Amino acid sequence: MNLPLGVVQSFGLRWTVTLCVSMGLLASSGFAQERDSLPGVSLGLVYENQPQPALAIQPFTGRFGGADLVDDVEVIVGRDLRNSDRFEVMDSIPAGLVGDVVDYTLWDRLGAVWLITGQVEGAGEGYILILELHDVVYGQSVERGRFRIPDEADSDFRMAVHRASDELVRWATGDPGMAASRIAFTMTDNQGNKDIYVIDSDGENLDRITNYRDLTLSPTWSPDGNKIAFTSYKSELPRIYELDLRTGKENMLPEVRGGGDYITPTYHPDGTTLAFAVTGNARSGIFTYNVERNCCLVFLSGGRWYDLSPTYSPDGQWMAFNTNRFGDAVPQVMLMPSRGGDAETLSPYEYGGRGYFTAPDWSPVGDMVAFHGSINRGTYHILVASVSNDGRRLNQLTWEGNNEDPSWAPDGRHLAFVGERRWGFGLFVVDVATGRLRPLLAGRRVGLPDWSPALSAER
Amino acid sequence: MIVRHFFIAVTAATLVVGSCGGDPPPPPPAPPGPDMDSLRAYQDSVQEAEEEARRLAAEEAARRAEEAARERARQGAARTLVQMVFFDYDMSEIRDDAASALRAKVDILRASPQVQLRIEGHADERGSTEYNLALGNRRAVAMRDFLTGFGLSESRFSVVSFGEERPLESGSDESAWSRNRRGQFVITAGENAINPGN
Repeated sequence: MNLPLGVVQSFGLRWTVTLCVSMGLLASSGFAQERDSLPGVSLGLVYENQPQPALAIQPFTGRFGGADLVDDVEVIVGRDLRNSDRFEVMDSIPAGLVGDVVDYTLWDRLGAVWLITGQVEGAGEGYILILELHDVVYGQSVERGRFRIPDEADSDFRMAVHRASDELVRWATGDPGMAASRIAFTMTDNQGNKDIYVIDSDGENLDRITNYRDLTLSPTWSPDGNKIAFTSYKSELPRIYELDLRTGKENMLPEVRGGGDYITPTYHPDGTTLAFAVTGNARSGIFTYNVERNCCLVFLSGGRWYDLSPTYSPDGQWMAFNTNRFGDAVPQVMLMPSRGGDAETLSPYEYGGRGYFTAPDWSPVGDMVAFHGSINRGTYHILVASVSNDGRRLNQLTWEGNNEDPSWAPDGRHLAFVGERRWGFGLFVVDVATGRLRPLLAGRRVGLPDWSPALSAER
Repeated sequence: MIVRHFFIAVTAATLVVGSCGGDPPPPPPAPPGPDMDSLRAYQDSVQEAEEEARRLAAEEAARRAEEAARERARQGAARTLVQMVFFDYDMSEIRDDAASALRAKVDILRASPQVQLRIEGHADERGSTEYNLALGNRRAVAMRDFLTGFGLSESRFSVVSFGEERPLESGSDESAWSRNRRGQFVITAGENAINPGN
């Protein structure tokens, strides 16, 4: 779980919080001892100040019947590469630079570091997209790949192109992109009811997933991207359901003796187990249930207080969660071993302070936990805490309006969240490394986004 | 009775008129004189029946008034049972005004053992969607614990949170928020067996 921590260099605003209380709490845990010497928490901007490499896209060409959709494919790839926030995508391409011939000298003079060329060929059923990444500085081809894409009318068309874009990002940076993914979230209708919707990472293909016209919320993707679990009041009381997106089959998780509200489900990275919170039971707190074997309800943590909103580390060993154990008005984010045990505070809790921190989401690739909160009861902002061994930092990613419920993209670099602005609510995407912000869906009453894993072709 | 007097008067008049004609017809046999005893008995029985009817009507009216008063009291008690209580921002503690509102429910619940309540906790729109579900539940449990603290059985209550999802007021200011941070009550059993108590 080593993340290139270069991306979290703090500079600019620096704010230090002493973690005396949490340090006391974690004295007995081995996990915590490793972190005993941490200097504290700094709150600041994270943004890289080094420029991104310039990337040019030579207009794609179509052959053997591929000309029909070549423009659409090129537009999708170009947008995906921009959305990856890893390049300065060059906008104006000289008209002369068309065709399959690559003039490295000319591209070099134009300032390009990377160059993408592409051809689309008809292939009986569907098409083949041939993409090539060129290193302009060294004047050579770096990678070349063939991607099968279906006809434009096929529902997988855009996702197939996104998967090709993600490979381009991987060729150039070593890390896959996140274009081939979707974001589940809630939308509220005029009656105040919530249902679950899904939208592609580039803001296209808005689909309605549930239609209960009741309260249905907290969607969460299974690690294979085939299921969404959520809480719904559709049978009067809040219960957790698992919906298979391929078959439409739906299962309700069994109830613990003694009733209570079943909220905030999340999957273990191995996909076998759901963790969730039960509140209002004699035993309130975080439980796990094995959904693969339909058994084994396990109580993890809680008690007189409520622990909720669990989220697993990518190796499944740790869990971050929200708790009200310090008081109803000062919810905090804590960490504990995923089988339960001593917990330590991750959010900058200060005894007697008014900090309010909720909605944690652990990065699928690194030692970072995003959550939202407010230091002193002002507006809510997206915060990212690094939990790596070489120091703990807390970084603020938003500065305008209210910002809530961050969810990591599969690239571990982008976050989707709900932004409240003067004009209303919207889903936004922020790049943790550059701070670049992009609206995904604006002007609707949206909430609780959950970013899918990378969606493979098998779906 | 009036008809009866009239008949007697007419009979007497006929006798008088008949006696002053020309040739007196042979006097008809004298009709039998009214049996004054049975007439009186009859009159008495009628009077009694009327008095009985009046008494019954008064009793019925009293019974109805009592029933109406009982129903009013029952409805009043039902209103007391579902009277909302309100909370401070981000708190699940029972305020003084909430304590009196809850205390008023205790006597009714004690006198109405068949009544069961669902206690709903609500939060205002500020803060996190998911955390507000937990906060609403904390409020519902605080209200239930207050009630069971008076010896009422926990089995008579169920709790559920609606978080910030079902506001009473739609505004985004303190006057709306203060009305939205609340407990609501639904009578889920024994609605017709509500006894207002003393």
